[in-house]
Amino acid sequence: MKRFAIHWFVAALFMVSALAGTGTAEEGTAAAPPDARGQAVKPEAIRAEPFTDAREVGTLAKGDPVEIQARDGGWLRITSRAGNGWVRMLGIRRGEAGKARFTAEGVLGLASGRAGTGTVVATTGIRGLNEEDLQGARFAGVQVELLESYGVSRAEAREFAGQASLQARSVPYLPGERAR
Amino acid sequence: MNRWLTGLLVFCLVGGATAARGGDLQEYLQGILGKLAPASGTRAAASPARPGTARDQLVEKLRTRLPASLQKVEQELRGVSREQEIAIGRQIAGNLLGAAPLVDDPGLQRYVNLVGRWVAEQTERADLPWHFGVLESPAVNAFAVPGGYIFITRGLYALLADEGELAGVLAHEIGHVLRRHHLKILRQGRLLDMGQDLLAKQIATSGKIQQLIGRGAEIVARSLDRKAEFDADQIAVVLAARAGYDPFSLPAVLQQIGHFAADDDRVALLFKTHPPPDARLEELDGRMGSRFDQVKGSGKTNRLYRLKPAARPR
Repeated sequence: MKRFAIHWFVAALFMVSALAGTGTAEEGTAAAPPDARGQAVKPEAIRAEPFTDAREVGTLAKGDPVEIQARDGGWLRITSRAGNGWVRMLGIRRGEAGKARFTAEGVLGLASGRAGTGTVVATTGIRGLNEEDLQGARFAGVQVELLESYGVSRAEAREFAGQASLQARSVPYLPGERAR
Repeated sequence: MNRWLTGLLVFCLVGGATAARGGDLQEYLQGILGKLAPASGTRAAASPARPGTARDQLVEKLRTRLPASLQKVEQELRGVSREQEIAIGRQIAGNLLGAAPLVDDPGLQRYVNLVGRWVAEQTERADLPWHFGVLESPAVNAFAVPGGYIFITRGLYALLADEGELAGVLAHEIGHVLRRHHLKILRQGRLLDMGQDLLAKQIATSGKIQQLIGRGAEIVARSLDRKAEFDADQIAVVLAARAGYDPFSLPAVLQQIGHFAADDDRVALLFKTHPPPDARLEELDGRMGSRFDQVKGSGKTNRLYRLKPAARPR
């Protein structure tokens, strides 16, 4: 537990230095990163704990801004003017209220992953994989063989899951999908 | 004269399709031909074929043979065998790899196969020879190809926070393979262009498969219908939960993708071929209801393999 805390401290230090280094922190570290802001897309109960039957401590109206502190499964821990606590994740859209959706501001690049804050650098001019690339593509036999050489057996996959204590659970498909 | 013959052919096609026994194909053809039918039907009726003429023989020939051929075409497509599906998929996968090669990191590729295979193990098609690969591309996208070939780009992989999110993304693509969504596109879109012998005979040579799938790997740039994407999303949630991961892993990735500027080149194809992330989240919310509110991930999912920087910036 102590080690865990130290890891977090180091991670936080790193993040702060990264923010300072790239100069993208607008109001210092006190302001929540854009990714940590969100708003309710429908009325949602704020609960004391991340459970459906936990005590209700407030109610978010549609459009109410929130600051997101953490996620636990399908629940987000938030602070808001309507109260602090846990709300259902799918009742919240991330992003700043009043700002256009898909607006991205952020730190660091792709190679290092999500860079802690989860924000994404907006980049135009980096070529993606577009339709012309795909239409003009020629069969790459050596690459397919390489791909196939990385295949793993079912037994290997089960062993891999066991190493991380992942246990298979029985979960039925949802009824929303209709048979065609 | 040419116009007259065309009219006659259309007339015969309608007759043939009507005579064919039920099925999607018949409805599909009737939908299209129904619009053409009145004019050509009138034309043909105005000049009835005299018995014994070459024209009449042609009509008769088409009338008797067409329904059988159409039925056969439909059967072939519906019952694409496992081997054919894999052969089609391998060709598309090879073409896709021609557009973007695998990231040169065997450790990464192996890791993604272990996660993907574990998720695929939770499905009704666990016996497919599943293959997973990370493509060397800054694009943010993932692709499913028939037969169990699944790809994620470096650009999307780099956004992932933990192994559960990787599982969620792969599970969405696995969902497309389970429901044969891309095979259905081939069936609906290409049917009328395809030579019948191609389908009547075994799909064997790569040349013939290429004829079926169109240019290069363009099939993966095609949009599936919105419902297919929503279905794959909900399958992903279920499969992640079955594999012991947090069922909200894919929704978390979708929220992440929602942060991209709409004009960012890296997400251009993804946004063009999929409903907006917000719409997908809203649909998931409705379909999931409160079923997963108490389902959490189990196990250690913080072992996500760290990407090394691209060897040669592209």
